[in-house]
Amino acid sequence: MPRSLAVPLLVLALVACRGRESPRAAAGAPSGTLVIAMPGDADVLLPPVATTQFAIHVADRLFPRLAELTLGLNTVDDSGFAPSLARSWTHRDSVTIAFQLDPRARWQDGTPVTAADVVYTFDVYRDSLTGSTVRINLTPIVSVTAEDSLTAVFRFARSYPEQLYDATYHMRIVPKHLLDTIPHERLASSSFATDPAVAMGPFRFVRWDKGTEITVEADTASFLGPPGLARIVWRIMPDVSASVTALLAGEADAVEVIPQRDEIERARRSPTLVLTPYASPFVAGIAFNMRRPLFQDRALRRAIAQAIDREAVVQSVFGPYAEVPVGPISRMVWIAQAPVRQLAFDTAAAGRALDSLGWRRGPGGVRQRGGRRLGFALLVPTTSRSRQEAAVLLQGQLARAGIELRIEPVEFARLDSRSRAGDFDAVFFSRTLDPSPANLSQFWHSNAIATGDNLGAYRSATFDSLFASAVAARGRGDALPRWQALLEWFNDDAPAIHIYSLRNNAAIHRRFQNVTVRPDSWLATVASWSVAPDQRLPRDR
Amino acid sequence: MGRYAVRRLGAASLTVFLVVTLTFFLAHLAPGEPMLGDVERLRADPVRVQALRAQFGLDRPLLVQYGRYLSNVARGNLGESFVMRRPVRAALAERLPRTALLAGLALLAAFGLGIAVATVQAARAGSATDALLGAATLVFHSLPTFWLGLVLMVVFSQWLGWLPVSGMTTPVEYERMGVMGRMVDVARHLLLPALTLALVQLAEIARFQRGALVDALGAEFVRAARARGLTDQAVLVRHALRSALAPVVTLAGTSLPMLLAGSVLVESVFGWPGMGRLTHEAILARDYNVILGAGLVTGLLVALGSLAADLAANALDPRSAA
Repeated sequence: MPRSLAVPLLVLALVACRGRESPRAAAGAPSGTLVIAMPGDADVLLPPVATTQFAIHVADRLFPRLAELTLGLNTVDDSGFAPSLARSWTHRDSVTIAFQLDPRARWQDGTPVTAADVVYTFDVYRDSLTGSTVRINLTPIVSVTAEDSLTAVFRFARSYPEQLYDATYHMRIVPKHLLDTIPHERLASSSFATDPAVAMGPFRFVRWDKGTEITVEADTASFLGPPGLARIVWRIMPDVSASVTALLAGEADAVEVIPQRDEIERARRSPTLVLTPYASPFVAGIAFNMRRPLFQDRALRRAIAQAIDREAVVQSVFGPYAEVPVGPISRMVWIAQAPVRQLAFDTAAAGRALDSLGWRRGPGGVRQRGGRRLGFALLVPTTSRSRQEAAVLLQGQLARAGIELRIEPVEFARLDSRSRAGDFDAVFFSRTLDPSPANLSQFWHSNAIATGDNLGAYRSATFDSLFASAVAARGRGDALPRWQALLEWFNDDAPAIHIYSLRNNAAIHRRFQNVTVRPDSWLATVASWSVAPDQRLPRDR
Repeated sequence: MGRYAVRRLGAASLTVFLVVTLTFFLAHLAPGEPMLGDVERLRADPVRVQALRAQFGLDRPLLVQYGRYLSNVARGNLGESFVMRRPVRAALAERLPRTALLAGLALLAAFGLGIAVATVQAARAGSATDALLGAATLVFHSLPTFWLGLVLMVVFSQWLGWLPVSGMTTPVEYERMGVMGRMVDVARHLLLPALTLALVQLAEIARFQRGALVDALGAEFVRAARARGLTDQAVLVRHALRSALAPVVTLAGTSLPMLLAGSVLVESVFGWPGMGRLTHEAILARDYNVILGAGLVTGLLVALGSLAADLAANALDPRSAA
């Protein structure tokens, strides 16, 4: 049997190896290969239709924005942005920004990048048929027009401080001359979406071996200047432990985030790796369903919040690798840096509040009122080990306060459909936030009830008006106290209890230099990373 | 034999049809939106989601979708992946040879090692070696596949540095290799996942083979061979083993479903870009067409494997068809 199977196996080996064409010619001066362990594959590499973060990480290396956020993630002031495709911009009036494109910018087939590309890109992103996930963020922009070949003019529906952010952050500019014959609804399945051979650097697409790896190489002719690295390879490694083993074995160079405490410790012990901590855009918490009469009682919600020791939960589940958020935002958002008042953990106060509401201790210690036990069910996704562990701790803490928490583990898709349909008491949700604090409206503004993103159907005129005031503030100094007031109102009103925000750790091989990590997009500065000549490995040459 | 083969072929076709039908209804009846498989997609525009549902026919009644699916399958059209935006047939054609390579090598290794271990055990039946080998194979059988894979990875890749951790080829350097170098590179990447799959299967094969060998060693023809003055080794290998191999052949067919199921975990742990991982990712993303396509191919493979094993067993011992 072995001999008879040897030939078919050899044929299979040849078939399995095929489909990998020779790479395009490598660029000259830059050197070093960054091999990134990535937990999932991209869907498509065309920014307007890419939906996963994995795809965005790759596409961002190929298709620059008009301007880039700098490391401080200041979304309000122009000083928070650096030129990219646009070498400058002017606020012509309170609702108009004109961008001057860099005249050196060329697509990798030699065609100049013009304002027509910017106009086309906006049209693609804004068209509902395209299916862009950021379309909603572009609604304040009324129009984008080409004043001349190098001037793109953005007009807004109203005056507000984050106009530059909205004009530059969400869109990556794509080539009109290669895409405008494709109907927008067909862009995702076009060949360009999986083989974006013509981009504008600082890297050029080389190969995507689906399910295995994606490779880009330095474009030394890029108007942004040659990058320090010769190539970046994203290796698809779905298992966290395997990714860390690959790092330790020298097979991979970097990973965006190690989500498990034990695996972080493994990486920390390695002499070849550097753990780079950065604030995570991720925040998780419990949202109460305000459609349920029980949770319409503000005093009860506050009592539940006071009965929870979030610090103990964070320490127990994550140790030093997470923190208690200051409210419905992560530390990445600039408004989180200021002190924000929160409901303190105070079991005595919680007990007194519940007593005063008529919830008295009954059999088994569970509080009752009018024959009804004080308790609720919490939806927890089976896909999140952290949230399941945290839910068990919360159950114990609430039990001590006389509140019965029933944990309801559900598969992620089920959790999503049930929470959007309002079919829950409370849900252990997670959010990946944008750098802008205005992102809060998407999840907690009364307008977001209709879209389903405001899971608990939280409706507060005070919150809505504080939000309107905060987003209208000019400059950080003026905006910060308004955002603080908003966060404190939210915390006092307790429509949700935010339990943890992660402290991300990127693990990166020690031979890489000039490494900085921008929290919202960890590879944003990768074009300036490099490898010292005496540190190079065979794959770096 | 001919009528038996036709009857078994009919049963195999029915099995495939039932697998396709069951997979279709289970996938569609499971909760969750097909277009909202991951967190990023939660921000998808409802208008676009509706348009996509219409584009993929998901707004039709379930029975209509089922009828359309069967009709498309009959024409060889497995539809388009919601996530990858490419024909499912192309994705499966890319992934299937890789899984077949992995499962094929694992099957070879499991049978090779299993038969070798069983031969040693049978030759020393009742001894400490027999007990020790029996216990060792049982341990491998009891270990969770993904855990065993991770342990092998740490030992052979991190500590010893002998074998690669993940993927199918070495990044960058693979492109600089010649044809032979590339073959060796793929083989090196294949070893750990194949070994993981093989070790889990080993116990069953070894126990089955050991039993058959012990029975054979007590048979008349073996006593006759011994009486002719043949050495113990010659008796064991040339006579007992040859006779005891026949029943093990049927195990090959039943091992295939186990290997394909095991490949889902092993491919994820080792980043092997095969059909198992594709299926796992499709289930998480509610990518119906990929789930159904993978179900169809898996059903076909299992049915063909069982059919081949039955026919082989029937050829070796016609009484088995009675």
